[in-house]
Amino acid sequence: MFGPNDRWGRLQAEWPPTRLTVIYDDTCELCRRCRHWLMLQPCHVELRFLATSDPVVRELYGDQPWYKVELMILDDLGRGWVGPEAFLMCLWATKRWRSMSFRLTGTAFAPLAERFFHALSANRSLVSGMLSAHHCDGDTCHVEVAG
Amino acid sequence: MNYLIWTYLLYAVAAIGLTAILAKTLFTHGTIFLETVFEDRPGMAAAINRLLVTGFYMLNLGYALLIFQTNGAETAIDATEVLVTKLGLLLVSLGVIHFVNMAVFWRIQRHNDTRNFTPAMPSMTMPPPPAADTMPFPV
Repeated sequence: MFGPNDRWGRLQAEWPPTRLTVIYDDTCELCRRCRHWLMLQPCHVELRFLATSDPVVRELYGDQPWYKVELMILDDLGRGWVGPEAFLMCLWATKRWRSMSFRLTGTAFAPLAERFFHALSANRSLVSGMLSAHHCDGDTCHVEVAG
Repeated sequence: MNYLIWTYLLYAVAAIGLTAILAKTLFTHGTIFLETVFEDRPGMAAAINRLLVTGFYMLNLGYALLIFQTNGAETAIDATEVLVTKLGLLLVSLGVIHFVNMAVFWRIQRHNDTRNFTPAMPSMTMPPPPAADTMPFPV
């Protein structure tokens, strides 16, 4: 039978995931802002953020068809959510929006939510164009002080 | 002969009896239900159940006492009508409070149901993410 050290045993034991890795398009202003918003949310699970332009990420996931196309979320075992499902998992990770993530999978809201997240993802460069970019070096931002 | 005292007596016995029977039913079945929901925390099931039943008693007996008073019952028919009206009102209120309790149980159950679920199942397997330094846990 499967034990806790087998892959199947781990898959069963580590559910639901306790840590999620969000792979986002860091060339998109909207995605960067969403990442910033998500970082500020109190969460039920630990969140890590990896940028698609990171060479390690490109090496690992560059051959995936949704790389730089859709939002990707992975748990520590490599189980992945892509596109609208990944957006739902972002909401699920947060304390405030977890119940909303389940509500959005109901029969009434699921088609609307899927279309909305697809549209948001497909038009993110358009939306990003409407937002003014924050230029930060590294992981820190400085505040402009008048005078 | 004034029938009012008998109306009051019968009403008091019926109100206390009905409340006690319903509270016992709620407590017995609620225990089974809550023990399955809180199987990893046995003390929690008993505590929640007792609190719910205490609230049930307070609401029902309080309401029964509030509608206790009546103007008068000079004949046996008057007394019967007063008694039936009061018991009907009491039963309706007991039913409403009972369904409120059921709604509380349902919410607890729903909360428990979603505890081990995610809104979407993973749709693919990819290489596990690199073991880089993790971002600080946002609090």
